[in-house]
Amino acid sequence: MKTHPVFADSYEELFYKALRIRLFEERIIDLYPSDKIQSPVHLSIGQEAVAVGVCQALKPSDLLFCTYRSHAYYLAKGGNMPAMMAELYGKVTGCGRGKAGSMHLAAPEVGLMGCSAVVASTIPHAVGAALAAKIQKQDRVIVAVFGDGATDEGVYHESLNFAALHQLPVIFVCENNGWAAYSKVSARQAYSIVKHAGVYGIPTMHIPEGYDFVKVYETFADIVTQAQRTRSPYFVEVQMFRYMEHVGVGDDYRQGIRSRDELEAWQARDPLMIRKDLVAKYTPAVQSEIDAAVRYAEASPWPGRDELLKDVV
Amino acid sequence: MTSSNTSDVLTYREAVFQTMHAALRDDPRVIIIGQGVDDHKGIFGSTAGLLKEFGPHRVMDTPLAEEGVTGIALGAALNGLYPIQTHIRADFILPAMNQIINLAAKYKYMFGGRFQVPMLIRVVIGRSWGQGAQHSQSLQSLFAHVPGLVVLMMSSAQTILESYPYVIRHHPGPVIAFEHRLMYDLKFHMNELRVDHSPLTSFRIRTGKDVTIVATSIMVMEAVRAAEHLAKYSDIDCEIIDLHCVSHPDTDMILKSVSKTGKLVIADTSWKAYGVCAEICRLVCEKAPNMLKAPVVTLGMQPAPCPTAKSLEDMYYPNLMDLTDAIARLVKNRSNHGIPLPDEKSMADVYKKFKGPF
Ligand SMILES: Cc1ncc(C[n+]2csc(CCOP(=O)(O)OP(=O)(O)O)c2C)c(N)n1
Repeated sequence: MKTHPVFADSYEELFYKALRIRLFEERIIDLYPSDKIQSPVHLSIGQEAVAVGVCQALKPSDLLFCTYRSHAYYLAKGGNMPAMMAELYGKVTGCGRGKAGSMHLAAPEVGLMGCSAVVASTIPHAVGAALAAKIQKQDRVIVAVFGDGATDEGVYHESLNFAALHQLPVIFVCENNGWAAYSKVSARQAYSIVKHAGVYGIPTMHIPEGYDFVKVYETFADIVTQAQRTRSPYFVEVQMFRYMEHVGVGDDYRQGIRSRDELEAWQARDPLMIRKDLVAKYTPAVQSEIDAAVRYAEASPWPGRDELLKDVV
Repeated sequence: MTSSNTSDVLTYREAVFQTMHAALRDDPRVIIIGQGVDDHKGIFGSTAGLLKEFGPHRVMDTPLAEEGVTGIALGAALNGLYPIQTHIRADFILPAMNQIINLAAKYKYMFGGRFQVPMLIRVVIGRSWGQGAQHSQSLQSLFAHVPGLVVLMMSSAQTILESYPYVIRHHPGPVIAFEHRLMYDLKFHMNELRVDHSPLTSFRIRTGKDVTIVATSIMVMEAVRAAEHLAKYSDIDCEIIDLHCVSHPDTDMILKSVSKTGKLVIADTSWKAYGVCAEICRLVCEKAPNMLKAPVVTLGMQPAPCPTAKSLEDMYYPNLMDLTDAIARLVKNRSNHGIPLPDEKSMADVYKKFKGPF
């Protein structure tokens, strides 16, 4: 287990965790042209605060179900960084033995129960895990993370209804970055996400400040406490902004998809951009951790023929 | 369908785009509906710019709601429109299986022929470069299994220009067409369009006497490349059939070919069990088992979900070397056939560099 530096206070701890994700993903951007990472990547740069805030409020035994955009959750929930880098490289030492790539990260040892590249497909899994928690009288809570686009899907509605109907300890976290690939929320949805979730009788919360890890953490910690106590569902929508393009290491401002003004407005509030002092303070430690992960990935072997048909059934 | 008499070169992407453009221009029933059809990428360029030319009623982005939108397309087809639906990955059609199999495939028969639901669903097979288990599947046989559906696999720009206009104009039911992402940038020689009969069938694209190769989608091109290699380095003479309409193949064509060659290789883009490979074997076993002079040889994906690591991906899909070797062994009836094999282990690498014309 790696040891984190000693933090001056809890703000710096959250800052450090967010910075670690940002720098990790920036390293992916640096490595990408070398073709060492041969797998599509969906970056969370700009959205890290939510993963950090949510995971800070969870115990390792609390379960998390995510999407293809989950580098941030993997790291925030405590997944092993070298195993993640090795997975991106397609090495057999990766967290999915080179079969997962960026889109299917998992770390069950710390409660990350799988990431799926089919939109909305893990939301019912969180509900099912919560059903199992209820039946087995476990005290863990279960979290489903998904984008605004996932709420378009029928299975999302089916999942909310079931969770509310059976009063299951599941917290739905909708990361609303305003876009599903190149399609705006307003081009896809005739409803308000939180109001709609409320129709199922699920208590809801809207957090507009998706850049603020303290706000997300404090709000989410209260929600976890409540879900723990009531053993019933809760719904959180967090407003956020994805800095990079939907997939890949480029951006989509030049193409006129999103406006740079909007980006700059979010960046102006982003602690990882503003607090240059803390960036300077923690970057060396984080970079050396990432360096070690890269060295591990590079030194690791490729999966061989013996892996090809292993774990199929 | 207009016949073109030029032997132009056309990319796969241009071919799809031309047919989509012409459909909107020539047929007021047509709408194109799917996630991302209106964005700057436009389904790998196949719908790019169409929104601007034809407007948002004809070219519609949709919510992420595959089952619902498929049912909506079906309803629109019942009331006079011709919907062309798109999925940038074949994998994303899976949430819509209920509408496709329980409804669209049965709408004509179940009501005693009183309805028709003409619609085209275009899906793209993703492959290579770490697409992994959920972005690379080649699901043709799931659909071809179900009566009521027509399933096509596009192996070239030519087959696209022949099939899409025909389907839209003449076929009164649901058609699912598989395009292949690795082929989008490739250039193809265009021959005279074969307009004398329906393209909802198979095509013999190379005549030969020693072995019959039945192939689908990108494996057709691989078969052509293998045949050319063997023609250069050996006396092996391959006959190639592009299965094309995998739900309604030209059985006679296949049987005639096998009766001539006595040897059959089947090369599909998907898993072998219960799929195209299995089905073509069924045809031959049922109709003419005595024609075979040797056991059938099949090539397809390994029986596992698709791994992301390149080292595994390169083993997962058959490559040109595997295919050429399989043909040579079958024809020569021994493994030490001595024919030099193409030194090519990764199709994705080759197609990145070589763009045709094929
Ligand atoms: C069922 C399905 N349909 C379509 C896609 C293609 N797709 C991948 S990500 C994505 C956008 C999803 O947007 P959102 O849920 O808001 O999450 P974000 O990517 O913004 O994090 C789409 C349409 C898919 N992966 N699965």
